[in-house]
Amino acid sequence: MTTRWTVGVLVAAALALPPGAAQPPAPADFARDVRPIFESRCISCHGATRQRGGLRLDTPAGIRAGGSSGAIIVPGNPGTSPLIRHVTGTGGAARMPAEGDPLTAAQIDTLRRWVEQKAPLPAAAPAETATKAPAPGWAFRPIVKPAVPAAPVGWVRNPIDHFVLAKLTANGLKPSPEADRRTLARRVFVTLTGLPPTADELDAFVADPAPDAYEKLIDRLLASPRYGERWARHWLDVAHYADSHGQDQDRFRPNAWPYRDYLIREFNADTPYARFVREQVAGDVLFPGNPDALVATGFLAAGPWDESGLRDINENSLDRQVARYLDRDDVVTSTMTTFAGLTVHCARCHDHKFDPVTQADYYALQAVFAGIDKAERAYDADPAVGRRRATLAAELALVRATNAADRALLAPERQAAVTAFEKTWRAAEGHWLVPEPQGLRAKQGSALTVLPDRSVLSGGPTPERDTYTATVTVPQKGLTALRVEVLCDDSLPHKGPGRCHNGNLHLSEVRVKVHPPGESAKAEAVKLRAATADFDQTGWGVARAIDGNAATAWGIHPAVGTPHRAVFEFEKPVGFEAGTTIAVELDQLHGGGHLIGRFRLAVTTAAAPGEAVRPIPTSIAAALAAAPRTAGQSAELARWAWERKLAADLAALPAQAKVYCGTNRFASDGSFRPAPTPRPVHVLKRGEVTRPGDQAQPGAVEVISTLPARFALADPEDEGQRRAALADWLTDPRNPLTWRVAVNRVWHYHVGRGIVDTPNDLGAMGGVPSHPELLDWLAAEFRDTGGSLKALHRLILTSATYRQAVRADSAAATKDADNRLLWRMNRAKLDAETVRDAVLLASGRLDLAMYGPPVPHFVSRPGIHVTPEADYDAFDVDAPAARRRSVYRFIFRTRPDPLLEALDCPDASQSAPVRGVSVGAPQALVLWNNKFLLRHAEHLAAAAGADPVRGVARRVLARDPTPAEAAAWGEYTRKHGAANLARVLLNSSEFLFVD
Amino acid sequence: MTPSRRAFLLSGFGQLALAHLAAHADEPRPGVALNGGLHHPAKARRVIQVFLNGGMSQLDTFDFKPEVERRHGQTVDVGLKATATGTPGPVMKSPFKWKQHGRCGRWVTDVFPHLAACVDDLAFMMALASRSNVHGPASYLQTTGFLTPGFPAAGAWVGYALGRLTDDLPTFVALPDARGLPYNGMGNFSAGFLPAVHQGTVVRPGGPTPIPDLAPPASARFATPEAGTDGLALLRDMNARYAAERPGDSRLSARVEGYELAARMQLSAPEAFDLSRETARLRDRYGTDRPGADGAFARNCLLARRLVERGVRFVQVWSGAGGPTNNWDNHTSIPTELPPIARQVDQPVAALLADLKARGLWADTVVVFTTEFGRMPFTQSGVGRDHNGGTSVTWLAGAGVKGGTAHGASDEFSYLAAENCTTAHDLYATLLHLLGIDHERLTVRHNGIDRRLTDVHGHAVSAILE
Repeated sequence: MTTRWTVGVLVAAALALPPGAAQPPAPADFARDVRPIFESRCISCHGATRQRGGLRLDTPAGIRAGGSSGAIIVPGNPGTSPLIRHVTGTGGAARMPAEGDPLTAAQIDTLRRWVEQKAPLPAAAPAETATKAPAPGWAFRPIVKPAVPAAPVGWVRNPIDHFVLAKLTANGLKPSPEADRRTLARRVFVTLTGLPPTADELDAFVADPAPDAYEKLIDRLLASPRYGERWARHWLDVAHYADSHGQDQDRFRPNAWPYRDYLIREFNADTPYARFVREQVAGDVLFPGNPDALVATGFLAAGPWDESGLRDINENSLDRQVARYLDRDDVVTSTMTTFAGLTVHCARCHDHKFDPVTQADYYALQAVFAGIDKAERAYDADPAVGRRRATLAAELALVRATNAADRALLAPERQAAVTAFEKTWRAAEGHWLVPEPQGLRAKQGSALTVLPDRSVLSGGPTPERDTYTATVTVPQKGLTALRVEVLCDDSLPHKGPGRCHNGNLHLSEVRVKVHPPGESAKAEAVKLRAATADFDQTGWGVARAIDGNAATAWGIHPAVGTPHRAVFEFEKPVGFEAGTTIAVELDQLHGGGHLIGRFRLAVTTAAAPGEAVRPIPTSIAAALAAAPRTAGQSAELARWAWERKLAADLAALPAQAKVYCGTNRFASDGSFRPAPTPRPVHVLKRGEVTRPGDQAQPGAVEVISTLPARFALADPEDEGQRRAALADWLTDPRNPLTWRVAVNRVWHYHVGRGIVDTPNDLGAMGGVPSHPELLDWLAAEFRDTGGSLKALHRLILTSATYRQAVRADSAAATKDADNRLLWRMNRAKLDAETVRDAVLLASGRLDLAMYGPPVPHFVSRPGIHVTPEADYDAFDVDAPAARRRSVYRFIFRTRPDPLLEALDCPDASQSAPVRGVSVGAPQALVLWNNKFLLRHAEHLAAAAGADPVRGVARRVLARDPTPAEAAAWGEYTRKHGAANLARVLLNSSEFLFVD
Repeated sequence: MTPSRRAFLLSGFGQLALAHLAAHADEPRPGVALNGGLHHPAKARRVIQVFLNGGMSQLDTFDFKPEVERRHGQTVDVGLKATATGTPGPVMKSPFKWKQHGRCGRWVTDVFPHLAACVDDLAFMMALASRSNVHGPASYLQTTGFLTPGFPAAGAWVGYALGRLTDDLPTFVALPDARGLPYNGMGNFSAGFLPAVHQGTVVRPGGPTPIPDLAPPASARFATPEAGTDGLALLRDMNARYAAERPGDSRLSARVEGYELAARMQLSAPEAFDLSRETARLRDRYGTDRPGADGAFARNCLLARRLVERGVRFVQVWSGAGGPTNNWDNHTSIPTELPPIARQVDQPVAALLADLKARGLWADTVVVFTTEFGRMPFTQSGVGRDHNGGTSVTWLAGAGVKGGTAHGASDEFSYLAAENCTTAHDLYATLLHLLGIDHERLTVRHNGIDRRLTDVHGHAVSAILE
């Protein structure tokens, strides 16, 4: 046990339970056991590049020769061997390794046994010829699909089993028999969908006599939308996704979720893995015009973002530069661990000590992302609209760049467009009818008076808010719009047009009704289609006066002291043969006396009334008025009318959606601005921003010699090309990392432990693969057959390996306590989201609605500063939002959900390739007392039916109680009610674990 | 606490608590020897960390600089063009009175009259530099050793390394300012990539239950004490049978024990949080009845003592909430913003030191008084000061700490650390050293790196140790 507290304490060591019994001493093999220790802990000082003390441990010759003080091994005698004395720091020897932790007790034990065996060495190791340190590990070697080992007929079902059985047999172990159908089905349900089966589903499967019932079940679950939700949640763990920024200004990200939805869709659609990777790294560049591919780049922005460092602090400060390097570090780290299982981030301050990654490599990767930031990008969810927008925008750019002297502007069709504009404009200008206002009323007591020009002046004491009513009557029908002019008056602050102390006004809502004159009983509401004004206060555009929301309004600050006009277009022409009375209500509900000081109403029959108020520059107005026009004026008018038309067409397109992603297309926010071209990235000495070295060129790592280490780009200043090149590098069939990492992750989520048990790290510091040949076989199969995840799932799920029972066998446990060789299946504990979803399913209240903005499971209110406060206690666990699957919950980085956190939901600020499994007292408190579980215990009881004991048992455990249980639980239920029984069963290991 | 709640505690989990088992699954319980230190004999077993959120001005508290007094109002070019949130103004001396105190003659301003009387017990790091001038990263650095989020807090590391001293209370407790969470929120108390059990338990002494989910909510009326007691018995049988049918999986037996340990916690916690068990005289010394946040902070200090006394390893007491005011981030006016926040901590922390001594806890408890960075010698907005990662002051007191000492010095303006500079990594190397831990050997591998609380830096500062 001491080792656990001293060296290399693995997270796993603390998470997993202590192995039951120690393994008996086994012979130590140099290549398998000893060399990895030397490679991981010794050769950085005693290797090819450095030979401290004259010693090198990377070659058999070097080991035999020893160092400048002589031999390091006394064969057969560990106690006197300098090697053992140094690694244990005994016998007066300096403790080695000199830096970092000492070797673990297990490592020391291995070395000791090896020395006891007289330290057998191979004649010559491959490392003998190594010239570069550290040597690339196994994961960098090309994937060569191994031959499937032969196996006797019987247990094996597919190639996976051949590999597993070969290892088991070699180690004197036997596989376990298949789990019973009920157990197996529950396991598959949880693996694929993250939801346990209902009792009825289980019964149906057990009763299905079809020989392929299991395969059919797998197909059904793979086709279920629940599959995508389950596996997207796994991916979000790795991508360290959340709906807030994290850091000290943990602001919400209202548009991060499209990326989560993208993942769910792509898993369900079984997008080929290479495409899936390419989209997340550079989908916007590689698949232009494809909204899904653009949303995929949400991956790059999934991690935390330092708002104060990147936006608020002084732009010229060193801290801003540091913040940028750190932010890019997050993107580089996330990309390379997620897709390549490579810990390049270890090379930020110095060359990687254990893997062949140089500092230059690391900064080359920083350079790949030097053009983007984490920000909100607008996009068109409908690709057709996107194409139209792109066309219009391109044309607009062209027109804006057109020289006013361009002869093309005098072409007949351009001049015809000018004539058409003039016609509409003059019509719009000329058809306004300004009748005498009548029936004036102000709800809160403003005094309204009609002036000779038919405008209305508001006076008297200024109420906080008010609603003005007026009617006007005209003989026409076919009315198309209402105009409200707000006018100046000397009686108003700053001459108005508002009554607020600063001259402003806020028009919250406009309502219009029409009826034939004198027949107000027949009044009908007029739908307003569009609103246009000659000026909009920032954030207070005139469209807010017809949005049905009393809290928003049209304002005109700071353009006070001058009149303004707003036009409200009717959805269709209105009016009556006998003439038309128009009743207008003007809500001004913002408060603070933001009232209209003077106004005048008008109506029109013109076809495009909005034109009348859209501002026209003075020079254009002059050109319009000029008669005759010069050629220059005609050209200028043509250019302007063209631009205006294009801008109007663009504005008329459906509003764009937004996604939080890695991009350089976003609106500046203070000093947080997009980089027009990639920012220069330097190789920082010791990672210090104050010590910049050479400028880094975009690229990846050199060690994969079949692929380019630095990217040859047509235009290196085009940031998109950099990411596209990295996407190519990652998904090249010759890149061995990508495919190994992918199949290993999938394996991990099926079996409970990866073939390499560090899914984010296939390097020298990562785990040693338990079945390297199987990993390569799966990687090659996956890569070469199109990268279908669903095919990979099918392969694993139908293997005899996966179908094994979770057998207890102390003899086998003695040989392989950790079950690394898979002589049985691993027992799994339901993860946090699955527990929550399973509770909802059991209580019958699970809402399977998919997609959309995240649902908070807390009540939020403004915090002291930027970060809102989250009150999880105050949240109503019966709210509709609480019934959705947990993948849709709002993830608030610095205010995590206490229920899910207690169930080992990871900190969303770090990638979590493996979840912890805790079972201690804090979790017991939460499961026993948390109000979500208790409330659902009540719902469970209510839904349990006539036989509550059986009902609760079937809902929670998906089975009938045994007679003994029925008796004990029945007595308890009679005494305390079915809700208490549900509470107990929800806390049971049977519910929380999967065999 | 209502009578029914107490009855529940006594009759619900209580009976199970009697069947306490020492072994524990996800938090291996160290033997007695380990409490004496992991790598070498320990001087201390527990820690109280007072964290001054916002960046305490060293120039107005502990770092006296004659040159600043002399050059007050002058513009001095130190090559600094831009501060974190503004531009540097002229040099500003402290508006508060400096005086030397104690046998050691330490300079302290009059914002800390009570702490000034304690200087002979305190060991100062007078030149502790940060690597950031921004609250978020600097706070993370000072609480976790890293500028970026997602790393374990010091309290989580200590719990992970040393395990529990008690089964009755959490190992790492965070007591935020009554006005709100600090910058980075719960990120400062996170277990990061360590097992979830090591995260700081945020205690809100004023809340309905000080520890979340210590008891069922009042809304769950069906969850009566009797139903709880009988239900736990039923659950124990069920889980024990499930475990027995599946030998060799200690997670399953650990779950049975987990409910028993939870029961102990449920019994003990209310007593630990009940400050009325202290004498009125002592409470008065802390100032627990002072109005508002002052009293709340004093109560947290007293609570911190009760918690460490009962075996909590690491208690973090926060002064100031995140945000522009009501903390130590005094950009606008040192003369008006600093005294109220200084008053919040001065008397209670001094009382805490005295109380620890009186109770014999001084012998194995370390108190750390720290902040995320210092402030500028130059003005901001007239009489405020901007962030300064260049230098700051931290002090330690208690077990193994040499009182009346000071290590390091800032430059003549207290702008940058100049001599014997220290960092958060040195602070934590020192703290771990006192706890019997070699900071270089306490590692956890995460994503390919053996991570430490001290990153790849840090030296224990022997000059301030006994």
